Amino acid sequence: MELSDRKAVVVHKLHVTNKHRFLGFVLIGLAVYILSNTVDEWKAFQGATIAVYVVAIASIILLTGYSGQISLGHGALLAVGAYTAALTQIYLNLPVWICFVAAVLVTSLFGALLGSAAARLSGPYLAGTTLALAVGLPSIANQFSFLGGEQGISFDAGWPPLSFGEAFTQYKWFFWITSLAALIMLWWIQNLLRSRYGRMWRAVKTNEVAAELAGIRVARSKVLAFTVSAGIAGMAGALLAATINNVSPSAFPLALSFSLATGAVLSGVNTLGGVMIGAVALVAIPEIASLVADRWSGSESVASLLPDFIVSALLILTVFLAPKGPIEKLRSRHVK
Amino acid sequence: MIRTTRRKFLVASAVMAATALSLSVMPAQAISPRSEVGVTSTAIKLGITLPMKGSASFGYNQLPGAMKAYFDYVNANGGVNGRKISLVVKDDGYLPKQAIQNTQDLIAKDKVMAVIGALGTANNKAVASAVNLGRRGIPSLFINTGFSGFNDRKAFPTSSTILPSYIMEAKMMGKYVKDTFPGKKVCLLYQDDDFGDDALVGFDKAHGDLDFAVKVAYPSLSQGVAGVPDSWITKFKAGGCEVQIVFGVASATLYTILAAVKAQYAPKWILGSVGADIGSINPATVPYIIGATSMSFLPSVVDPKDEYVTQFKEINTKYNVGAKFNSWALIGMNTAFIAVQALKAAGKNPTRKSLLAAIDASGSKFPNAALVPLNYSQTSNVGLNGYWFGTFNKTGDLVPNDTFSYTVYTTDSGTGPVDKSSYSRPAMPAKGLPN
Amino acid sequence: MFELINTLLIGITAGSIYSLMAISIVLVWRSTRVVNFAAGGLALASSFVGAAILEKTGSFWIALPLAMVAGAVFSSFIEYFFLRPLLKRSGDQGAEIFLPIIATLGLLGIIKTILNYIYGDRIGALPPPLSDKGFVVSGESIALSPMRLLILGIVLLLMISLTLIFQRTNLGLSLRAASFAPEISRLAGIRVDFVRTIGWAISGAAGATAGILQTTNGSGSVSPESFEFSLLLVFGFVAAVIGGIESLVGAVLGGLTLGIILAIILMYVGGSLVFIAAFLILILVLLLRPHGIIGSKGGRRA
Repeated sequence: MELSDRKAVVVHKLHVTNKHRFLGFVLIGLAVYILSNTVDEWKAFQGATIAVYVVAIASIILLTGYSGQISLGHGALLAVGAYTAALTQIYLNLPVWICFVAAVLVTSLFGALLGSAAARLSGPYLAGTTLALAVGLPSIANQFSFLGGEQGISFDAGWPPLSFGEAFTQYKWFFWITSLAALIMLWWIQNLLRSRYGRMWRAVKTNEVAAELAGIRVARSKVLAFTVSAGIAGMAGALLAATINNVSPSAFPLALSFSLATGAVLSGVNTLGGVMIGAVALVAIPEIASLVADRWSGSESVASLLPDFIVSALLILTVFLAPKGPIEKLRSRHVK
Repeated sequence: MIRTTRRKFLVASAVMAATALSLSVMPAQAISPRSEVGVTSTAIKLGITLPMKGSASFGYNQLPGAMKAYFDYVNANGGVNGRKISLVVKDDGYLPKQAIQNTQDLIAKDKVMAVIGALGTANNKAVASAVNLGRRGIPSLFINTGFSGFNDRKAFPTSSTILPSYIMEAKMMGKYVKDTFPGKKVCLLYQDDDFGDDALVGFDKAHGDLDFAVKVAYPSLSQGVAGVPDSWITKFKAGGCEVQIVFGVASATLYTILAAVKAQYAPKWILGSVGADIGSINPATVPYIIGATSMSFLPSVVDPKDEYVTQFKEINTKYNVGAKFNSWALIGMNTAFIAVQALKAAGKNPTRKSLLAAIDASGSKFPNAALVPLNYSQTSNVGLNGYWFGTFNKTGDLVPNDTFSYTVYTTDSGTGPVDKSSYSRPAMPAKGLPN
Repeated sequence: MFELINTLLIGITAGSIYSLMAISIVLVWRSTRVVNFAAGGLALASSFVGAAILEKTGSFWIALPLAMVAGAVFSSFIEYFFLRPLLKRSGDQGAEIFLPIIATLGLLGIIKTILNYIYGDRIGALPPPLSDKGFVVSGESIALSPMRLLILGIVLLLMISLTLIFQRTNLGLSLRAASFAPEISRLAGIRVDFVRTIGWAISGAAGATAGILQTTNGSGSVSPESFEFSLLLVFGFVAAVIGGIESLVGAVLGGLTLGIILAIILMYVGGSLVFIAAFLILILVLLLRPHGIIGSKGGRRA
């Protein structure tokens, strides 16, 4: 795989600088802006949800794809971010964007702790630990009343400024905030992954012993990966809280962690480039499924079951046919 | 390792562009000329979100079927001012986040005129604040909860509840227990959220003034975990409870009774109204609840003389095929009946505003099967305000006594006394259709 | 005093059922190095089979063994049609367990949607065959009933049988050899693929038993969205990890530990902390012993 890659590089030699990439991001931002003005409020809400998933899936790609540590419990990290953002707003009365920053910082800290405990764990042990965390953490909210219990606490991302006009719905506002945050995070993440940190993580993932011999402090790199991944997940959680206006344990069930892992695999867990695919799939598939179900069968049960079925089937297909992700698959096809 | 970044980037951009296009091209709702969201010249669309599956759904998942049956009946008889009513049902599994999501869907995607009969205290509290129903002028009517907090018209301007508040219910229970079982050890199982906390207010010194030997709060949805209900029973037995009040949802009541049978714990059962009818969920439990006390504001499902029961039973048989006519069906149909009257009173060209105004103005006069009055007004969001006490008979139905004569009590959500109600229910409109 | 005894009894019963599920997961891990999340779905499907058979024949004693057979069949089916191609594709990269786990997750989703489609709102009834009224000891009813004894008995029986099979029979030896060193075993004439399927079949039977016992111990009815089954899967997996995912004995220890401690926390602390307690128990064990109570560092146990 690597060798053919090199060949490909020799054939298509193009010097892509950071400036090019930055331009690319700006273009994407522009596309999003145009989109936000043309779609109705429901699609805007879905767009905001996609942005949230993009950030969340990116955090998994970093941790699992680059650093090789499995996590079935990212939902819990999103929860930490969401609760932090909400609590910061309620008790410290700080503006929304500071709440986002707080969410990232606190969740990173949490990730550092978790990472140090998990650094010695591998494979199924790590999977089990993260799974238990995903199930255990959100339910704490029921124990302490300041965490709001079952109905949760509210997080208000605010309403669009009046100067934007009457037609500027709150959903569009969410779409703007989440997309901006997602773009910034993606830019930062992809820089990080191209830097020596990304290479360090890859090295550890490929062969721990060799990496250690090459001078990389394996344990530290693993903890660092957890920390950064957690911070990103915290941002995703805060964004999620913004779009729902509410933070409650029921927003972070085990199914969320599974969905994120699913999205990561659909995107191709080893590279960042396909992160949109997974995010869009998670949001678009229920839509498409219900459309299909409405048109083909009147059965209500089919309509509600079809999305899960399609997502699970896609998951299995992806693992079988394109285990490194659809983008890598396309690329390797082309190169051959 | 230098990668073909350009290709990767192009692919990524292409994917995003394609996504953007596909998202914007996906069929949106057909825009037809309408004066209000959810209302066309021939149809009115309503929505409901409640637990249809999962450990809290027992009993409640029978409500939409009954509601739809009544709407079908009305539609077959001309509809409301010529419009047919449809109901979009969404399952939230009793999870607040899902309720919020579903309500957003109902409003923005399905574009319903109003949400009716949404269920769950925690769910609806979360929805009201997260979805900003008040600010957006979206009615959430006849909410299936008794949480007294919804009476705050400032906080919840477009919401209304249908059940008597839990404070009312607990006060009445308190008086009943003190009058009927003086000196006995009384214990309480309640849900650990606003639903249960409301009940605690109703039982406290200022209101119902009932002391408990043992109180157990159960986290919502924990009733389905093996061993959890057994732990509650162990505590109650250790406390020597003689009278056991269960103020929980239907599934919690069910599991409690089952665990009690296992542990041979046989107190005098007092079951809160929202979760009492477990016989309709699991017929095997009927023998265990014979003689248990509970309350209702609707006539007994097996009342042979009640005109509403007879009419609704007929509608159920015809339009809700396969569903047994039980207390859930009765309550669902009654809610639908009230909703239809509200829609009719909203005028020939109903809007969300006119609907809310109609309930304020004439809601208290809507005839319905309940044996206590509706209290909707310019200042009140609260629906019903009273109960009669009865026991479960051999077939698992709640009856007041052998003669089906009801002694109805009423009170307020404050510290007012519990009195006998002097409400005389107006006659049912012909054929159970709004006039 | 009785409270404590009852708590322990409740915990041991629940814990032994988790152990069964843990055994199911350990078996699959040992034979194919895959964490099988679909085991939860299989347990669910087998329980439905059990309920159907119970309805037809009225006898629990026929329903349980048949459900175990169903579990074994479903499980081998999955191993043959699903897992073999999967393992061929992902190769034998030691650290790469993410993809197979995700694949089994997808499988779990499919099983659940199929069950939901077939059964919808209907539930399968699995009432306990023996009385579950507690015995009366010195005038107090304790949490030990004939049904509880049955559950404990069945789990014990299965554990002993499995241990005997693994340690004393040729089949068991083949199973252990095939999982430890597949290539060498092939050379020694062991039909590695067939043996792996057997491993999965036994795992399926164990899972089916866990599912049925969990239902009879709990609500008495099984439905596709049942919360009990998600819990069974999660706690079963956690128990397996606590015990050291390489060891059957560890699975049992892990299950019992988890069951007892959770029951104690449930009784004396509060319901909402049960899940975070499970996490804390797990992380504590793993901090002290990163490979579980009985796991050994580095190597794989034969």
